[in-house]
Amino acid sequence: MLWVDKYRPKTLDQVMVHQVIAQNLKKLVTEQDCPHLLFYGPPGSGKKTLIMALLRQMFGPGAEKVKVENKTWKVDAGSRTLDIELTTLSSTNHVELNPSDAGFQDRYIVQEIIKEIAKNRPIDTKGKKGFKVLVLNEVDKLSREAQHSLRRTMEKYSSYCRLILCCNSSSKVTEAIRSRCLNVQINAPTEEEIAKVLEFIGNKEGLQLPSGFAARIAEKSNRSLRRAILSFETCRVQQYPFTSKQVIPPMDWEEYVAEIASDIMKEQSPKRLFQVRGKLYELLVNCIPPEIILKRLLYELLKKLDVELKHEVCHWAAYYEHRMRLGQKAIFHIEAFVAKFMSIYKSFLVATFG
Amino acid sequence: MVTGKRNNVVVLSSDGEDSDYSLTSNRSFSKPKSRLLVTRSNPRGAKKARLSGSRPHSRKQSSKFDDIRYYCEDFDEVYNGFKVSAGLQGSNTQGLWVDKYKPRSLEELAVHKKKVEEVKVWFEDRLRSSKEKFSNQVLVITGQAGVGKSATIHTIASHLGARVCEWNTPTPIIWQEHLHNSSTGINYTSKLDEFENFAERIRKYGFIPSSFTGGSKSSVILLIDDLPVMNGKAAFRRLQNCLHLLVQSTRVPTAVLLSDCGKTDSADLTARCFEELQLYLESAGACKVAFNPITHNSIKRTLSRICRQERCNVAADQIDLIANASGGDIRHAITSLQFFCFKPDPMHSLSICDTTTISSREKPDVLRALDDGFSLQFGRDESLSLFHALGKFLHNKRDSENGMELEQAEFIVQERLSRLPLKMHAPEKVLCQAHGQARPIADFLHENVLDFLSEEAIDDAWAVASYLGDADMLLATFRGMLSRYNEAENVLQSAAASVAARGVLFGNSHPLPSRWHSIRRPKLWQIERSLLHNKNEMAKRRFDGHSGINLSDMSIVATEYTPVFKWLGYGTTGGMQQVSMQLDITEDYFDKMKLEDKESETTDDEIEDW
Repeated sequence: MLWVDKYRPKTLDQVMVHQVIAQNLKKLVTEQDCPHLLFYGPPGSGKKTLIMALLRQMFGPGAEKVKVENKTWKVDAGSRTLDIELTTLSSTNHVELNPSDAGFQDRYIVQEIIKEIAKNRPIDTKGKKGFKVLVLNEVDKLSREAQHSLRRTMEKYSSYCRLILCCNSSSKVTEAIRSRCLNVQINAPTEEEIAKVLEFIGNKEGLQLPSGFAARIAEKSNRSLRRAILSFETCRVQQYPFTSKQVIPPMDWEEYVAEIASDIMKEQSPKRLFQVRGKLYELLVNCIPPEIILKRLLYELLKKLDVELKHEVCHWAAYYEHRMRLGQKAIFHIEAFVAKFMSIYKSFLVATFG
Repeated sequence: MVTGKRNNVVVLSSDGEDSDYSLTSNRSFSKPKSRLLVTRSNPRGAKKARLSGSRPHSRKQSSKFDDIRYYCEDFDEVYNGFKVSAGLQGSNTQGLWVDKYKPRSLEELAVHKKKVEEVKVWFEDRLRSSKEKFSNQVLVITGQAGVGKSATIHTIASHLGARVCEWNTPTPIIWQEHLHNSSTGINYTSKLDEFENFAERIRKYGFIPSSFTGGSKSSVILLIDDLPVMNGKAAFRRLQNCLHLLVQSTRVPTAVLLSDCGKTDSADLTARCFEELQLYLESAGACKVAFNPITHNSIKRTLSRICRQERCNVAADQIDLIANASGGDIRHAITSLQFFCFKPDPMHSLSICDTTTISSREKPDVLRALDDGFSLQFGRDESLSLFHALGKFLHNKRDSENGMELEQAEFIVQERLSRLPLKMHAPEKVLCQAHGQARPIADFLHENVLDFLSEEAIDDAWAVASYLGDADMLLATFRGMLSRYNEAENVLQSAAASVAARGVLFGNSHPLPSRWHSIRRPKLWQIERSLLHNKNEMAKRRFDGHSGINLSDMSIVATEYTPVFKWLGYGTTGGMQQVSMQLDITEDYFDKMKLEDKESETTDDEIEDW
C-alpha cells in the first residue's frame, strides 16, 4: 500500500493540514443539516481526503466499504437510446462518480444517472428514509449544458440527496451551482505543513530523517501534499538511510520537459522545431495533459530567460493556452508557442550579440 | 438516373400498361430473373436507351411511344436485369453521337494501336487455338472512364467474328421498388449474390448454347464490364473469392474491365478496393492491360472525322478546346461536340472567349483559360490527388517578379506582408479539385510543412504554425454537433481548409528551392490512437490496485502516480505491470514508450517539384 493511502487521515479529527476546516465540517454534519458542498482547491491539497473523512463522519465506517462498479447506463435521449459506460464507486450511502469521463455525453450522465441514483434512497434500520450523498469529481470539466442540468437536478432532488462537488478551479463552475452550494476552499498546504506531515510519516515508519530533508522534499513538491508523500516514498525505496545530500527524484516527464526547454534554447530553427514536436508527441502519448506540458515548459523556459523577455513570453504562452482550449489538437498550439518563443528568442540573441 | 424518376417509372408501369409494352419488347415477366445474360447485336443500345431516357432534352422529337418504351426498358431492367437492344435502331439517326459513331473497325478506334494489337492478339490466341493451351483465360483491362475499353472489346470481337456476352451489374433496387416487388412476390437478391451465381454458372457450364438466339457455333467472349458494388470488407472478400475462382477455372476468354478513377482519388476507399482487386486478379493469373487516357491528337482526329460526317462546321481550335477539356475521355469529348454542334450559335463561342478573357487578365489566350478550368460549359472537372495538392501548397511556387504591381496600386500592402504572385490556381480551387477534407489537409500540412521551410526561417515557422492553429480552432468550433449545424459546419470546414492552405503559402515567405521530397503521413494520427489506448488502459488500471487513485483525476494519475509507480517498481501488488518494471531514469522510459510505429511507414508518395 502506498503511503499516500496508508497515512490518509480516516476521520476529521485526524486531519493534520486543514484542521480548522475539518472541525467546521464536523460541526456542520453533526448538526444534521448538511447543505450541498463544493470543494475546490489545487491538486494535492486534500480535497478528496476531507470528503472521505466527512463521509465517514456522516455514515460511520460503512462509508469506507466501497465497491467499484462499471455499469452501462441506458439513457433515453429523445429519438435514440444511448449507452454510456461509467465507473462508479459506491457504498450503501454514497456514490462517487466522475461525470466528465463520459466526454461530451456528460449532460446525460448528470441528468439521468444522478436522477436514478437519487431515487434509490437507502432505508436505515429505523425505517426512516436517509439521504444519499453523491460525490462528483472534476465538476469544472463538465460542459456548460451539463452544469445547467446539474443545477436542475440539485433543486429537484435536494430533499433526497446531497451533492458533494469537487474541482480544481471554482471559476469554471457556473454561478448558479456555486450559489447553491456551501463553497469550501481548500488551499494548498504550506511547505512547513508538508514537512510536518512528512516527519509524522517518517516517525510512524521508524525512519531517521536528516534535518532539512523533509523541507527539501516539500520544497520540490509544488505544495502538493500527495506529491510530497509520493516522492518521499520514492526516496525511501531509492536509498535508505537517507543522506542530507540525497537527490529527490524528479518526475520523469518534468525532466523531459526540461530537456525540451534546453533544446529550444540551444537552437532556433524549423528543424529543431520538428525535433521538439517529436518530443512533445512522446509526452502527449503518455497522457500528460497538454495544458500541464505547456505550463511546465513555460516554467522551464522562464528559468533560463533574460528578464526583459519574460513578459512577452508569458503573454504568448497565455495566448496559446487559450487557443489550445478552444481548439481541438493541442500539438498545433503548443508548437505555435514554441515557434513563437524561438522567434522571439532568436531576434533577442541577434539584437544582443549581433 | 434520378431516383425520383425511377420511382415514377414503377408507378406508371404498375398501372397496368406494362403488359402491353412488355409484349412489344418480346419478353414475359414470368421468366425467372436468373437470366442475366443476353447477347446483343448492338451492345450499346441499352446504354443509349437509358441515356436518352434520362436526358429528354437531347431528343426533342421522340414520340410518346418511344418514351414510354424507354421507361419500360428501365422497368424491365429493374425486374429482370435484362439488357435490351431490340427496336432501338430506328432512333439512331437522331441518337447520341457516341453511339452513332461507335468505332466499327479497328482503324476507327482512338485507342493506341499497340494496346489494341495487344488485346487483339490475346483474344486471337485464345479463340483460335485449343482451350488447354493457355492456362489463363482472363484479361483485365484498366483505364479511366471513357478511354474505350468496352469499345475495344466489342470492335475486336466483331473483327474476330466472336460473340460478346456481357455481364452488366443489374440496376440497383431502391427501397420503394423493393416494397413493390415483394408485394408481387419477387424476392430480393443482392447484386453480389447474382454475380456469384453467374460466375458459378460460367465456370461450371460455360455457355449453354440455347441461351443464344442463334449461331451458337461461333466463339464467345465474355465481357464483365461492371463489377457489383461492394460495401464493406466481407463483401469485398466474397467478390475476391468469386473472381479468383473465375480466373482459375473459366474456359471462356474473359475480359474484366475496371474503370479506375486514376490514382487521383487515392483517399477514396472504393478506388483503393479496385486497386487491390486488380492486383489480386493479376496474382491469380490474369493478364493485365492498362489503357491510358486517349491522346489529344487521336481525340482531335476522331472529332474532326465526326464533324466531317455530320457536316458541321467547327473550327479547328474549337475541336482543340474540346479535346483538351475532355481529359482523355473520348466519350465525353464526343458528347461535348454534339452538344456544341447542337445549336451552332455564334454568340455561344463568343461568350466563351469573353468569360475567359475576363477571368484571366494577364494572358487572355484561350488555352490559358482552359488551364484555369474556367472556360467551357462542357469541360470535365479535373481532379487532383491529395498529394498533388499538398505538394502545391508546400512547395509554394511563385513567380519571380511581381506582375500584379500595377493593378494593386490602390491596395498598398506593407513590404513584409506582400508576397509574389502564386504560380497556381487559387488555393481554394486546388482544394476543391483535390476533394480535400479540411481536417486531414491541416494535419498533413502540419506534419510536413517544416521540411519545406528554409533553415533559418523560424519566423516563418511561427507564422505557419499560428495559421494552422487558427485552422484547428475553426475546425473545433462545432465539434460534436455535426448534425445540427450542417450548413455552418460546411462553411467552417472550407474556411478552415482555406486558412490552413493560405497560411502555409503566406507564412512560408522564403520557400526552399524545389527538390524532391516525400510527404509523410501525419504522425499525429497515430499519436492520437495510442493516446486513446493509453488513456483507456490507465482508466482501467485506476481501479485495480490502489484505493487512493480511485476516480482521481486522470491528469494526476499520469503526472504523479505513474512516474512514482515506475520508481517504486510496482507491479507486484497492483495491476501496474504494464507501466514499466525498470527503475532506470527517463531515457529508458521514454524509449520504451517511443511510439511503436506499426503503421508509420511513410506514405512514400514522392512529390516531384511541380
